[in-house]
Amino acid sequence: MLEVSIEKTLGNFTLQSSFTSGNGVLGILGSSGCGKSMTLKCVAGLYAPDKGTIRLNGKELFNTETKVNVLPRHRNIGYVFQNYALFPHLTVYKNIAYGVRHPDKTKRHELVTEMISKMQLGGHEKQYPSQLSGGQQQRVALARTLITEPELLLLDEPFSALDSHVKQILEKELLSVIKKNFHGIVLLVTHNIEEAYRLCDRILVFDRGKSVQIGEKQEIIRFPATISAARITGCKNFFEVKIIGEEDGFVRLNSEGICLRAVKNNTKLLPKMMAGIRAHDLKISSKSINEPNTFECRVIDKIEGIFSTTIIIYCQGKTLQAEIPNNDSFLLTVPIEQIQKLWLQIPEEKIFLMSSEQDHRYTSC
Amino acid sequence: MDNIDLFPLFLSFRVAFTATLIGIVCGLPLAYLLSRRQGRLSDFIDTLTNLPVVLPPTVLGYYLLVLLGRSSWIGKFLEEQFNIMIVFTTTGAVVAATVVSIPYMIKASRAALSEINEDYLNAARLLGRTELNIFVTIMIPIAWRGIFSGITMSFARALGDFGTTLMVAGSIPGKTLTMPIAIYDSLQAGNYDMANFLVLIMTTVAFAVLYIVNRLEKRIKKG
Repeated sequence: MLEVSIEKTLGNFTLQSSFTSGNGVLGILGSSGCGKSMTLKCVAGLYAPDKGTIRLNGKELFNTETKVNVLPRHRNIGYVFQNYALFPHLTVYKNIAYGVRHPDKTKRHELVTEMISKMQLGGHEKQYPSQLSGGQQQRVALARTLITEPELLLLDEPFSALDSHVKQILEKELLSVIKKNFHGIVLLVTHNIEEAYRLCDRILVFDRGKSVQIGEKQEIIRFPATISAARITGCKNFFEVKIIGEEDGFVRLNSEGICLRAVKNNTKLLPKMMAGIRAHDLKISSKSINEPNTFECRVIDKIEGIFSTTIIIYCQGKTLQAEIPNNDSFLLTVPIEQIQKLWLQIPEEKIFLMSSEQDHRYTSC
Repeated sequence: MDNIDLFPLFLSFRVAFTATLIGIVCGLPLAYLLSRRQGRLSDFIDTLTNLPVVLPPTVLGYYLLVLLGRSSWIGKFLEEQFNIMIVFTTTGAVVAATVVSIPYMIKASRAALSEINEDYLNAARLLGRTELNIFVTIMIPIAWRGIFSGITMSFARALGDFGTTLMVAGSIPGKTLTMPIAIYDSLQAGNYDMANFLVLIMTTVAFAVLYIVNRLEKRIKKG
């Protein structure tokens, strides 16, 4: 169990990070410069927070009140750096052996050879890091860390140094290697929601130095707690709403004259809220359909992607973004000018509600 | 060849080797500290260590005489307790050579050490190593080209010192007469064989040192 509650100020940036994590992979998600890596470095002891506590499996690693600050080398934490930080002057074998502290030489050799075969690095023992591919370097970095049997494994953007065409295969490999050889807590920093979703069990959302939400990944995607959490997880459509009523499992919303219906969930209702809907959840058709939340709209612009196209639509005074798969719509073959009338349907179970005042503290920045 | 005295050659190399050795022992830790710390104190120390490059040798010599002369506090202490005299001795020549050569050593090592990616050091820290251990197993091997280039430069500078050595150690034949001073003396005395011989050696050493430094710097850039 890792319990973190820290604060650190650097210039005009303030980090306020507080979360707990049990075994399994916790993804730390946020845009760059929001304090994700800083949090990792504080946990590892490479930076000292100004205030707070860090506890790992009941052991106090850092506490400003009792003035405890365990040195990095005594924390028993594994860290895989963004560019792996393999020692360039040491061979693969010596890199992996660097952290082994077993006094017996033959035992040491055994441990290293075993780790090399586990990580499928056989045959590369005598090579230097610069002679390896990105994926191999990543495995060496992981081997070098796991051989010290850490209680906590920190991965700082482990895929940012890799080419995109090998990324997904390596993601799967890395995940299975970790699951097979490591049974403790893993923290994985990333700015990519897809990567976080694929690799992690739970997700912690960071925004401008503050941890804003933590939960199961499905829950984070389905019900972001704040506007910033929704934005970081890829939501593009927001509108202010007033709650005007509730009826058997539904909430009735009014957004500048438009009435909407949304499925009620655990979110605490306030008179004024923010509603969000993801671009790929919006439905567009050329015929009027008899379903709730259906409105007339027109297309303003199209942005073509490889697999899907983003359509900017104008509907009842609002501009929304919808995402449609490329093989799925007649809309994409017709020029915008020729489309006269379209219907937008907002699925009521996909609308999520958030407090509209979450972000007030940022207005001063 | 009768008029060639080899003593200045041997003395100079002995003095330069000793000065370089002292430079490594004192300069490398200082370079390490300067590369890791930022702040006014480290800027001040950095400036201080670079002073010998800019100051005229006579000024440096003067400072050393004031600091280490027989009437100074340190000079008296050394003479009374250990019977060591610095002024007009070989020890004085070593002190002078060390002071003029150490800035080159510090500057090059410091630059090489501060270029090391902090992640390497952090990785080593998390793998359980102490700072001293990291310095020896990671920092020196990664920065060795820069450090070695500093060592050769400081050796060349120590070998070629004229003014400061003359002020502190004098030019006593058979005792403190180093090569650069011997060249001057030989010319004064009209002994061109001796002068030519020493000039040739000095030039060869200087050329070799610069060549090595250049090669190393190219390799550093290539990575």
